[in-house]
Amino acid sequence: MKAHERSIISDYDLKKPGIRWSYYLMNLLVVIMMSCMVYPILISMLNGLKANKEVNSFPPTFFPKEWHFENYTKAWNYIDLPMYFKNTMMIFLGNMVVTVMVLGLAAYALSKMRVPFRTPIYYYFLGTLFIPATTYMIPNFINLKDLGLMGSFAAIWLPAGANAFFLLLLKSFMDGIHVEIFESARIDGASEIRSFFQIAFPLSIPIFATLSIFVFATAWNDWFWPSFILNQDNKPLSSAIRDFVLNARRLDLNIKFAILTIVTIPPIIIFLFFQKFILRGLYLGGVKG
Amino acid sequence: MEQTTAVPISKPKPQTQRPGKYKRYMWGFIFLLPAIVIFTLFLWLPIFKGVLNSFYNVDFVKGDTFIGFDNYKTIFGDRYVMTAVRNTLYYMGLALVIGFWVPIVFALAISEMRRFQGFARVAAYLPYVVPFVVLYGVWRWLYDPVGPINSVLKAIGIGQINFMVDRAWSMASIVIMETWQSFGSAMLIYLAAILAVPRDWYEAAEIDGAGIWQRIRYITLPAIRNQILLLLMLQLIATSQGFQTQYAMLDGGPNNATLTYALLIVRYAFVRQDYGVASALGVLMFFGLSILAIIQYRINNRGGVQS
Repeated sequence: MKAHERSIISDYDLKKPGIRWSYYLMNLLVVIMMSCMVYPILISMLNGLKANKEVNSFPPTFFPKEWHFENYTKAWNYIDLPMYFKNTMMIFLGNMVVTVMVLGLAAYALSKMRVPFRTPIYYYFLGTLFIPATTYMIPNFINLKDLGLMGSFAAIWLPAGANAFFLLLLKSFMDGIHVEIFESARIDGASEIRSFFQIAFPLSIPIFATLSIFVFATAWNDWFWPSFILNQDNKPLSSAIRDFVLNARRLDLNIKFAILTIVTIPPIIIFLFFQKFILRGLYLGGVKG
Repeated sequence: MEQTTAVPISKPKPQTQRPGKYKRYMWGFIFLLPAIVIFTLFLWLPIFKGVLNSFYNVDFVKGDTFIGFDNYKTIFGDRYVMTAVRNTLYYMGLALVIGFWVPIVFALAISEMRRFQGFARVAAYLPYVVPFVVLYGVWRWLYDPVGPINSVLKAIGIGQINFMVDRAWSMASIVIMETWQSFGSAMLIYLAAILAVPRDWYEAAEIDGAGIWQRIRYITLPAIRNQILLLLMLQLIATSQGFQTQYAMLDGGPNNATLTYALLIVRYAFVRQDYGVASALGVLMFFGLSILAIIQYRINNRGGVQS
């Protein structure tokens, strides 16, 4: 960064003692906030390393008195984590494929192809944004039952293609790609499918990457809906944690924390690696709504 | 391939263009077809089924029977509906009072930091990536009568608070937890808007003698007004439908103090297996919330997004 840019408070203001001390106080406040943010995450990692007696002691300790690394082995074997992890990944990959194939193609058609009734079709998609999902949650459940999808991954995958918000983001991204590229492809004899897969899709990788973060977060986080839709052996990790770990009566607290930590680490790593995409997704989600 | 031999003939060209255009329309429809089918099957169909089901007694075994407005009569005769509406409004209000201003304040504070801004951003956002189920597990322990929060309260002499069991605290505890988790994302949106304010506006204001509060009041806050409005709407839309945390942490307890309207829908459907009433509750909820959705659309469009 270049030499400090001024912000609301100028260097001149900071020379006044009253303002300077409030400025320090404000920084202290931010530091307190940061520790409040990090503390629960750190403490659950450390609780997973304590003896069970120590986790239940009052007042709580921060660092373990003795380090019990074997807790994490026990936690790993408590439920079949790899299987549930595989299910979560199946949901993520399937949702992503559906997003690309259904929403990607539709966004491309709406943005770059000449389709009659384009506007009514677009509003047919966007109209769903006005109906809050919770209001038709139960009919949705009944509908999946009527369609005979209950208990299969398809009950999660296919509805993933019915996301008007993603469609909106994809279309506005593709609107920014110059139409000349597609026209020259057409003149060179490329089919529409080829234009999509070899031109539109590669050029839209940034927006698909952003969407994949959203899709991953949903697959990793969502516990309520899958626990009603899927079965014992294809439910995702978070539903399994909720059913077998959070509500378990006879599970030691230290093992519980170890399991929770194992589940938290992958998203944190992904966040630290893909910060850029995540933050862009956030701005898209927040600013464009 | 055979056509390459027929080089001298240029006449057929306009003829092939017609079917080409037609074909292009066809491809457009083919590309749109999956989305149309899926939006119909998984969004519009359930939405209309919901309205229809609200007039039926839904029975998976014996089949549905038409019962007119009986489901709606059940709802207006159920005293828990009023409790749920009140709790939902209380939850929305608390989320505003406890949580809404937090990201604005911290965005202002962090934008003023001259060092370690990046750290502060990451730390504030970090809880947002913690999965919900982990959040529930960890905070149950944090809120425990012998957990860390109570040990701090004891140390500073306030005494024990039963965050989860005390009716007066249970909803507030949920809001505090959710604020902890999600304020980081809102803060980053505000922060981006604050950092986009041209620096020389502050310079000019300072030369004109405006104090720090006046600069915030007359420059920064108006500059992030759109973000404040938008996030306000998003928060109201989210909290008006909130039920997962209440369901997972307390199952609507203690004594229905955290029974929100959406949780009541879930209870009617999955506990009492009364899907007709649950659908009717959903229809009523739609009318309540459509006002919010329209306002949000207005704000969005003013933000300059093409339809």
